[in-house]
Amino acid sequence: MNPTANAAPARAARALHVLLAVLGAGALIPGLLLPSGAQQPAAGGKLPPFVQTLPGSVVKVRMMPVPGGTIAIRGRQATVKPFWIARTETPWEAFDAFTNSGPPSPAYDQTEFLPDAIARPSKSYILPDLGWGHNGYPAINVSFLSSQMFCRWLAAGTGRKYRLPTEAEWELACRGGVVGPWKLDKATLDRVAWHAGNSDGTAHPVGKKQPNRLGLHDMLGNPGEWATDLDGQPILCGPTFLDGPRAMTPSTRRRQTPKWQETDPQFPKSRWWLADGKFVGFRIACEP
Amino acid sequence: MSNACESSDSSPSRREFLTATAGAVAALAATGNYAFAQGSDVIKVGLIGCGGRGTGAAADALQADPGVRITAMGDVYQSQIDASLRNLKEQTTFGDRVLVPRDRQFVGLDNHERVLESGVDVVLLCAPPGFRPVHIKAAVAASKHIFAEKPMGTDAVGVRTALEAVQAARSRGKCFVSGFCYRYASTHRAFYSRLHDGALGPVRAVHATYITGPVKPMPPPSARPAGMSDVEWQIRNWYNFVWLSGDGLVEQACHSIDKILWAMKDVPPIRAVATGGRVFPNNEGNIYDHIDVFYEWADGTRATMAQRQMPDLPHNDNTDYVIGAKGVGIVRFSSAEMSGETRWRTDPPKKSMYHLEHDALFAAIRSGKSINDAEKMARSTLAGIMGRMAAYTGAAVTWEHILNSKEDLYPASLEWNGRLAIAPMAIPGRTALV
Repeated sequence: MNPTANAAPARAARALHVLLAVLGAGALIPGLLLPSGAQQPAAGGKLPPFVQTLPGSVVKVRMMPVPGGTIAIRGRQATVKPFWIARTETPWEAFDAFTNSGPPSPAYDQTEFLPDAIARPSKSYILPDLGWGHNGYPAINVSFLSSQMFCRWLAAGTGRKYRLPTEAEWELACRGGVVGPWKLDKATLDRVAWHAGNSDGTAHPVGKKQPNRLGLHDMLGNPGEWATDLDGQPILCGPTFLDGPRAMTPSTRRRQTPKWQETDPQFPKSRWWLADGKFVGFRIACEP
Repeated sequence: MSNACESSDSSPSRREFLTATAGAVAALAATGNYAFAQGSDVIKVGLIGCGGRGTGAAADALQADPGVRITAMGDVYQSQIDASLRNLKEQTTFGDRVLVPRDRQFVGLDNHERVLESGVDVVLLCAPPGFRPVHIKAAVAASKHIFAEKPMGTDAVGVRTALEAVQAARSRGKCFVSGFCYRYASTHRAFYSRLHDGALGPVRAVHATYITGPVKPMPPPSARPAGMSDVEWQIRNWYNFVWLSGDGLVEQACHSIDKILWAMKDVPPIRAVATGGRVFPNNEGNIYDHIDVFYEWADGTRATMAQRQMPDLPHNDNTDYVIGAKGVGIVRFSSAEMSGETRWRTDPPKKSMYHLEHDALFAAIRSGKSINDAEKMARSTLAGIMGRMAAYTGAAVTWEHILNSKEDLYPASLEWNGRLAIAPMAIPGRTALV
């Protein structure tokens, strides 16, 4: 479905697009995420931004266009078509709209489980938000499956092609058109990212730091974000609020280890929640 | 009102057990364990209660010691045993040590008796808490080492009888490790050790929160399969019935109450006052969805326990705030910190507390030492029951009352296909303090 079919958002989107074109992305956010020596590619991508209201909810997610391009991911070239990605990490109120959309799936039933748009997180044994804050804070301690099911639920309820970003899409979105080596001075880093030096070891509300050139917040820092790698496997993209300044680059990656669930006291451990994944979140992507 | 709760017939031995200021682990007899002095010896472990936590405890035990074999399992459902076995055996690191043939899988309300008769050395007691006192007594009588999940029971009579059974058998030197796992967490041990060394000065108050969502909401009566007995219906939905879970306060927030007592050097409170109720209807379930307890100690120290299990609210918290004369301590799930005259924060844990409690159990069994957590477990559980009773009745409930309370929620007769009326949800002022 073409998001511009909806007239009002389309008008707003066009207006914003024009504004961006007039000002230039760099003028909106001066000096941001422009590592020294980096080149700035020509502007591309014609998709307009749009706002998605979640099914059965008043919660809205703002989707921002990302121009296509090619990017090297750990030695492999990947081509990315233009797509949308959410302006922020998925906040709890959005995740709640998903979990509240029907009865939870059985917690530990490993055999009868068919992941689909109807599968929803079981009740968590842990306190997933860790008491750090709920509405406005990024959903954390979520498994790849939980994140993936959120996208399937959203796609089923809207008819749009929502999914997790690929690793290549994620990195392209994070770089926001910046190619080459990545360097940020400390002052810039503090303006754009929650990292070990300013986070006090916790996640922070989404969208409070300055966005990158594409209008995307918290791509660096705050929780890491689930994506699928070039082989379709789960990978956590981006540095987290627990990483130091040196790790604050678009190429920081993590693979899930048993440590991420070590303190889940149940067996088998939850397929939906990562008891020790406080640094694990996600943001959604959408294909045209 | 509090005077009415007091009684003068508490036996000296009982008072000794439960009012002593916990001289850490009391003098430990080191007898009876030498069978396992050799590292290669097999330790046979039986699991009673094969749900998610029980299976988790079995996995923890298997990882704690290479000699551990799971050799027997008991549950009220064969399907629970099947799932538990399947999930454990799938694990490449320890699945080959799960050796439970059909004739050592026991199904029924008496499954614990048959697990205990099957030749195991250790039992993991992980059935719903209402069964815990019965299971503890039987396991002590059978002279087994015990891991008992928290809480120790759901009523004062049950907890006291369980404790008395363990204490009476103390000279045998068998281990008793409780599922109050924070006591084994490296982070929390470091925090409370510093606290007791005076890092925050004298403790003035503790404010503990367990403000979360529901654990296992009660399905509607229409979901009850035709022909399912009252007893099975309640056990299947055990969390929602006071006799089985003890209420969310006793079943889950008991961890926070245990840490309150830890902060107070395991001195029990003299009195508790509480408010509580239910906001969200829960079909036939008779537990509350929130209770706030106000505990008081003889020296005027106070603690509050704010507990809630309501669905999808915009704020949650599970933290203990320890207010000392010289600073404040904040204790979370896997970290703790202090601020004030000194600033301090725990190092990240290297190992989960669930692993550590089993490491401690099996190391003690191997070395012939004894660990006995029973007294602390009883005290923390009784403090939770005290809070629930205060909320359910509206009375101020004294520790003296708890030591003598006749409240016994365990059904007089329990048959799998039997009838069992559901007690109405408590109403303060109408529900009697027993």
